[in-house]
Amino acid sequence: MEGGPADAAANRKSSALTGSARKLKDNAADWHNLMLRWDKLNEEGFNVAANIVNTRRSQRDLWTPDESPPSDELQAECSKLQDVVHKMVAVVTKMEHLMELQRGVQELEEFQFGPEGRTVPLFHSWTTKDFEENCGVLMVDFRQELRLKLVILEELAHAVNSDLSMVYLSCWLHQPFIRTQTRLRLEALLLETGHRPV
Amino acid sequence: MSTPAVSCLREALRRSFVTLEKQRSVWRSVLAECSPLMDSLGNLAEQMSALSRVQLSDTPLRVFPELRERLRFKLLQAADSVLENMSCKMTGLQAVRDAISNQVSAILQLYEQNSDALDLLAVTERSATVPSVADMLEWLQDAERFYRQQFLQRKALLQTLRLDDLPLLESAPRRWKSLESPSSDQRIRDTLCKLSFFMESQ
Repeated sequence: MEGGPADAAANRKSSALTGSARKLKDNAADWHNLMLRWDKLNEEGFNVAANIVNTRRSQRDLWTPDESPPSDELQAECSKLQDVVHKMVAVVTKMEHLMELQRGVQELEEFQFGPEGRTVPLFHSWTTKDFEENCGVLMVDFRQELRLKLVILEELAHAVNSDLSMVYLSCWLHQPFIRTQTRLRLEALLLETGHRPV
Repeated sequence: MSTPAVSCLREALRRSFVTLEKQRSVWRSVLAECSPLMDSLGNLAEQMSALSRVQLSDTPLRVFPELRERLRFKLLQAADSVLENMSCKMTGLQAVRDAISNQVSAILQLYEQNSDALDLLAVTERSATVPSVADMLEWLQDAERFYRQQFLQRKALLQTLRLDDLPLLESAPRRWKSLESPSSDQRIRDTLCKLSFFMESQ
């Protein structure tokens, strides 16, 4: 992705933003960075998960699976995956925090301008409520995807057959709960806040 | 002694082989980019059939509503993008085929235009470094036929693929690989080798 928010922010006059606009713009940048971080973790996790499946498969070829204790190698890979998932939990926690900030901004505006909120948009066209709704949709996807990752972490090494292992792996890789539109929503958010040139 | 018609034809042949050599390397590099794409297509097909064989309600994944549909959608989307990529590569292969075909038909036309001036002796005359015109025309046509057939076979393979026919999709990388024809390619390489002195001569 060319021209991340960091360098876009540096050469824009809007660095003088204050108050709600500043907060919303920073939030958008944080969303972008958290999603990048998530993608990186997802890739890292996928490699580990694939190792787990391969290790299991080669063990199954050697002896009956259920009687033998898990090998050190398998154990090590599983704790690596656990690490990755923990980091993903941290990412989603930060996202939840962003949602709270968003809600705070919304409440503040209701207090300042009454229940209708601000009448003039802070940036191009979105109302503060639009920001909240948009981020809410992102949040729903990541929350659900994280739940899926947690199940995969629990079950991957216990998958009873190779088909199920394959389904776990492809769930991990293709992230069924992060919809394609979600990426577009992030782009919309970055466009609206001026991180990307219109 | 070679007549003007023969030397003119030889010069055209020389240029054609230079083109052939260049296009052959383009072809090989495009083809090299295709195999990982075909592999990932086969891989996606495997994932789709694994998904269709697993009864999700019997697994810990049962807590996720719509998981099957959503994962299937993502897999189809990924397969779609691989196929799109492949069709770009096919455009590349087609360009190679066209370049070679155009060369060959131009040279045959040139030959026919001059055929009155070219008797049997002239077209079979050869030296240590310059093969006969007849041989060179044959080699060029062999090469052209090879690329034409290769392109058609590969194109046909891709056109029969359907995203809902998983066994066909799963076997695609293997069938793609089986279209390789190392002996024909080797023959073209040998020909170019034999012609290296001729191609360098001006």
